[in-house]
Amino acid sequence: MIRAFKLEWLKIRHYKVFWILFGLYLLTQFVITNGGTFLLEWLESKGADFDGIQPSIVPIYDFPDIWQNSVWLASFPKVLVSFIVVVSVNNELTYNTLRQNIIDGISKKEFLLSKFSLIIFIAAVCTLFLFITALITGLTYSHVTDVKYIFSEIDYIFSYFLQIIAFCLFAFCVGLVIKKAGFAIVFILIYSIFQLIITSILQFSDWTKDYMADYVKFFPLYSIEKLTGKVYESPFARYLLQEIKTDIFWYEYLIVFAWIGIFCGFITYLLNKKDLKA
Amino acid sequence: MSSVLKINSLTKKYGKLIAVNQLDLSIEQGQIYGILGPNGSGKTTTLGMILDVVAPTHGSFEWFGGMNHVEARQKIGSILETPCFYSYLTATQNLRIVAHIKNTDTARIDDILKQVNLYERRNDKFKTYSLGMKQRLSLAAALLSDPPVLMLDEPTNGLDPEGIAEVRQLIRDIAANGKTIIMASHLLDEVQKVCTNFCILRKGVKLHEGSVHEILGETNVVDILGDDLAQLSVEVEKFKGAEKVQKENGSIKVFLTEGQSSAELNKYCFEKGITLKKLIPQSKSLEQEFLKILKEND
Repeated sequence: MIRAFKLEWLKIRHYKVFWILFGLYLLTQFVITNGGTFLLEWLESKGADFDGIQPSIVPIYDFPDIWQNSVWLASFPKVLVSFIVVVSVNNELTYNTLRQNIIDGISKKEFLLSKFSLIIFIAAVCTLFLFITALITGLTYSHVTDVKYIFSEIDYIFSYFLQIIAFCLFAFCVGLVIKKAGFAIVFILIYSIFQLIITSILQFSDWTKDYMADYVKFFPLYSIEKLTGKVYESPFARYLLQEIKTDIFWYEYLIVFAWIGIFCGFITYLLNKKDLKA
Repeated sequence: MSSVLKINSLTKKYGKLIAVNQLDLSIEQGQIYGILGPNGSGKTTTLGMILDVVAPTHGSFEWFGGMNHVEARQKIGSILETPCFYSYLTATQNLRIVAHIKNTDTARIDDILKQVNLYERRNDKFKTYSLGMKQRLSLAAALLSDPPVLMLDEPTNGLDPEGIAEVRQLIRDIAANGKTIIMASHLLDEVQKVCTNFCILRKGVKLHEGSVHEILGETNVVDILGDDLAQLSVEVEKFKGAEKVQKENGSIKVFLTEGQSSAELNKYCFEKGITLKKLIPQSKSLEQEFLKILKEND
């Protein structure tokens, strides 16, 4: 694994596009997860109020709610991270370096492992960054500072980590099938929207919800997004005194782990099936 | 001599097309082995299969008497048709990746870059290189780990005459160190000049295999020239050892019968009072043999 990651590291270390995309994501993540206070204060200065509550006293950064709030927000721009994987996989195909690497002396398994290690690296950095910034923001603004509460819903951080890994592996598959980076990225975007529409229809429409709603959770992106809450499952609804889902069920993890296995299997199949033509 | 590569009935089918058909080959250490064949005869497919980038339909091959394929590939320096590198990285950065894959030291990178004349440009990105420079970088990558086996696919394709001469010299230098070279080419002249052994492929079938030296023996044709061509031709016609005499391009071609040598022809002419200005026993060229083999198998 270390050898595999070192190979990847040599490829990305001096690659500007990688660092720009990665930095862009981290910046976006930072702004949307930690800029809430500024947004609420700005809203207040414009005279907004939520059912008589001053926006600036909404405790969005209180422990332990901050974890779920940050993770839900941070998952929005995750598509930016998946671009990194698409570009990285695509380079190997367009420069024909996948073929060259194998000729020079790695196995296809090692290639998969090196990209997988890149994905883990990206996911780990994103997660660590989110954890540290949320912790600092929380310590600054939270009204609750008891250590017992600070780390009590920390499992959301793990869900986020898993989500990035699974989503990047999905992007890896797409990048391998669609050989043009631009098309692959467009496909990921369109598919995300398409699947959101399909699953929403199956889940909520009167014709299908009775017998389809239970199966929707098995869709790949649906299950991955479910880890941090779907787009329409805003944890901020709790401040409007609505009931929200706060637990991640064990089977939701299991489904994502299954997809991770399927993606890896599919990538292995593609690598072994295809002849790498010059 | 130890075996470098042994191929057993290797076959590749693309749908109905059989690119390589039941190919058997064995290459020993120290050979410069040329795989000859017209375009589309399955040379590159064969190289692709033994380098594990093309999956064989059936058949097998064995490197260094049964070494793990991945480890074996790390011991092979390959130069295939197009140079493949990360265009956003410099020569040095690209070679570091190669060194990492081949489990070899990065200390030789500078020396190798000097050797292929890229040292001054080592910190420029690959995408800024000319085709010749890209090819020289492939060469550097192939030589970096000082591999015991070098594999070349059309090594002089696209090079200028100077580059071709350099590559040929390099092949000879490397071979002189006891290394094994496997090259695919459709240039007969090239194989004749550098290879020790060769095989001929056509439509994926091996038509011939042997040493270059054996096939390039002398022919029974002697090219002669004298002051008076007409007189010479008349006299030579009477020579017992001449099967056939032909005038061609201002000289005379004598086809000797078996057991006759050019020395005897010379002696005969001298006795007849003719001094020959030119006497050249013609040797076979790979080209003629190649065409002959192709014809025999039609």
